Amino acid sequence: MAKTAQEKADLKAEKQYEKTHKKRFKATPGDIIFNILNYSIFTLFTLACVFPFYYLFINTISDNELVAKGMINFVPRGLHIGNYTALLNVGDLSSAFLVSISRTVLGTALMVMASGLVGYLVTKQEMWGRKFFYRFLIITMYFNAGLIPWFLNMQMLGLTNTFWAYIIPGIVAPYNIILVKTYIESIPAELEESASMDGATHMTVFRKIIWPLSKPILATIAIFGAVGNWNSFTDSLMLMSSAPKLYTLQHRLYIYLNQASNLSALMESGGQVSEAVLKSALSGKVIKYTISMVTVIPILLVYPFMQRYFEKGIMLGAVKG
Amino acid sequence: MNQKKANKSVSDIVYYVIRIAILISVIFLFIPNLNPARISGLINRNMSLFTSGLSYSSLTDGFGRAIKKEWVYPSTLQILYVSALATCLGLIATAASACMSVGNVKFKKLGNLIAVIGSAVEIGGMVGIYIAYNQISQTTKANKVEPMFSKGYWLIIAVAVLVLVLSIVQILLLAKTKAEEKFEMQTKFRLFLMYMPFLCLVAVFSYLPLLGWRYAFFDYKVGDTLSFEKFVGFKWFAELVKNPATVRDIVKVLKNTLGMSMIGIATSWLPMAFAIFLSEVKSVRFKRFVQTFTTIPNFISWVLVYAIAFCIFSTEGFLSSLLVNMGVWSEGQNLLMSGSHTWIKMWAWGTWKGVGWSAIIYIAAISGIDQQLYEAATVDGAGRFQRMWNITVPSLVPTFCVLLLMSIANILSNGMDQYLVFKNATNADVIRVLDLYVYELGIGQGSIPLTTVVSMLKSIISVTLLFAANGVSKAIRGESIV
Repeated sequence: MAKTAQEKADLKAEKQYEKTHKKRFKATPGDIIFNILNYSIFTLFTLACVFPFYYLFINTISDNELVAKGMINFVPRGLHIGNYTALLNVGDLSSAFLVSISRTVLGTALMVMASGLVGYLVTKQEMWGRKFFYRFLIITMYFNAGLIPWFLNMQMLGLTNTFWAYIIPGIVAPYNIILVKTYIESIPAELEESASMDGATHMTVFRKIIWPLSKPILATIAIFGAVGNWNSFTDSLMLMSSAPKLYTLQHRLYIYLNQASNLSALMESGGQVSEAVLKSALSGKVIKYTISMVTVIPILLVYPFMQRYFEKGIMLGAVKG
Repeated sequence: MNQKKANKSVSDIVYYVIRIAILISVIFLFIPNLNPARISGLINRNMSLFTSGLSYSSLTDGFGRAIKKEWVYPSTLQILYVSALATCLGLIATAASACMSVGNVKFKKLGNLIAVIGSAVEIGGMVGIYIAYNQISQTTKANKVEPMFSKGYWLIIAVAVLVLVLSIVQILLLAKTKAEEKFEMQTKFRLFLMYMPFLCLVAVFSYLPLLGWRYAFFDYKVGDTLSFEKFVGFKWFAELVKNPATVRDIVKVLKNTLGMSMIGIATSWLPMAFAIFLSEVKSVRFKRFVQTFTTIPNFISWVLVYAIAFCIFSTEGFLSSLLVNMGVWSEGQNLLMSGSHTWIKMWAWGTWKGVGWSAIIYIAAISGIDQQLYEAATVDGAGRFQRMWNITVPSLVPTFCVLLLMSIANILSNGMDQYLVFKNATNADVIRVLDLYVYELGIGQGSIPLTTVVSMLKSIISVTLLFAANGVSKAIRGESIV
């Protein structure tokens, strides 16, 4: 089929265009070197971020004797889950796990509910003294009395060595309240107006309209709150000094990590180390690894869900007021 | 009619007095020095009336021996506890009545009734405490049991009587309501009352600690009470600059704090560079992959970071076992047990943990840059680095400046978790930052006044720095950062 001259000319122009552009975007040697460097640096850094977790993991599921000899570096061998089941017998760990779980669930739930409600209330212009009391709340983000006064205050309130010390101080979180407030302000006011026309009270509006609509931001703060609760360690360290039953998992891990390695103690004393002793003594290292793994697994499990909320959280945080 | 109006305005004024009186008595509830239930030296000095009424076990904690030897009878303590509890409940009831007093007449009436009952219960509780005191002062071992009468007793009872009398006056003053009237309250007050519990939490956990600043002016040891004989003025402030041992410590600690903060500030461009170079990667999948995995470390605690460090760098860790197996090292080394290059190592761990996370804000900013700028620059013959330097960097600088100013404002607060977990005998001297120092000295060694002074100064300096940074930001960019 014969093409018209016009079409031919078009085709030619197109080809020419493509050619020149290809030339423009063609990788120069410099570009290639740059790309190789860029890719390899990022690959290396990513590996540095991932490998420790992998290493930790394979050492907890591999044959303990091989682990003792330092033979498990890249590939797991002699798979078993004995270390994890053995942890169940360590009494203080299961209670610490329970404490961590309950503080995370309860603390986060209360914090999210409070942030939702307070975030809604402070958007209400008609509230008595709104401006002043909102600032009263927000200013605490930038100013605190300091560690020791805080500690003395907790002592004075009788919260030391009680489980509530983990929960109550965290209920009101000014930063999260700002996030929720900013989000609620972006919800069209008409929705609320029509509801109040129909006679809904503020509480009803909050429950039926605001709460469901702010779920994305509430999920964001819930996830950050849960991670913060799970990871927090200094409050357990400072406030629970005479209530070891209330230590969090992080605190237990810290204690275990700081216990002198049984093996090195044996070696230094110069004693002949029998195979059986070696095996039991070495479990110190494996126990440390396994506890670390148990502590990190919840984070790694929720991580995929967290990811989609990252940007929202961090970007909303940039808008304050 | 006029009489009614006059009554109303009198009633309004009286309500202000009642509310203030109730507010004051609620505050008294939390001040250990005024605890009227502390009728014996065996009761913890730091216990407030609220705690006394809340927990019987902590109230009677110190009495184990006294009860066994029959210096004190358990019945006395039970009377004391029940009285403290009654006082607390009465106070809570009056607080509720104060909340109701902002409603309509019907609300007010109910509130007055509750206030009368509440303050009567409160006074009853106080009488109970007095009875318990009388019983305890007849003990055979006065020197062991130390009967005492709190100075807060009359104060609290005076406020309670005031509230009782005024509430009765209010009942007389208030107009009669029609039977069909409903409980109503203006919206503005209703909203405020919903907000108030949270305000109370903020007050208790963020503002009440400020009361602890008074320890800076007293000679206080853990377990002591504060009394005016022990008032020492600015002695502890002077100690900070005069006592050679303290000065040496402070200088060392400040050097570490500022040194590590400076390293952090000097490398605060790293997340930006991370984002810029990552945006040069063409493959979306690879980008996603890098971003996903470099953010993980941000979400683990410092204890876990230390666990990671332990499994890689300790004697039996990855590096040692690898190098020993390869024959490079003859035996494993514990790289964590070394005092050299500690600042740099701490910086490296901080970067490992945080750089991927901090880069997110820049990555988001880069995705907001108009692509036409890059195309135009390419047409004009700009190379890759020119584009990066002249388009990407300038559009990230505002964000960078805000974060930089914030990190300057936070120069004294590097937190203590990281340094606490990485601290060991060999690096203790170079790793001790201000926060860690305050923790060790204050909570570890019980040197409360000195560390309160340090906490206080740190708070004040931090806030000043923050406002300075805010001022700078306002002057340069016309935008505030707080």
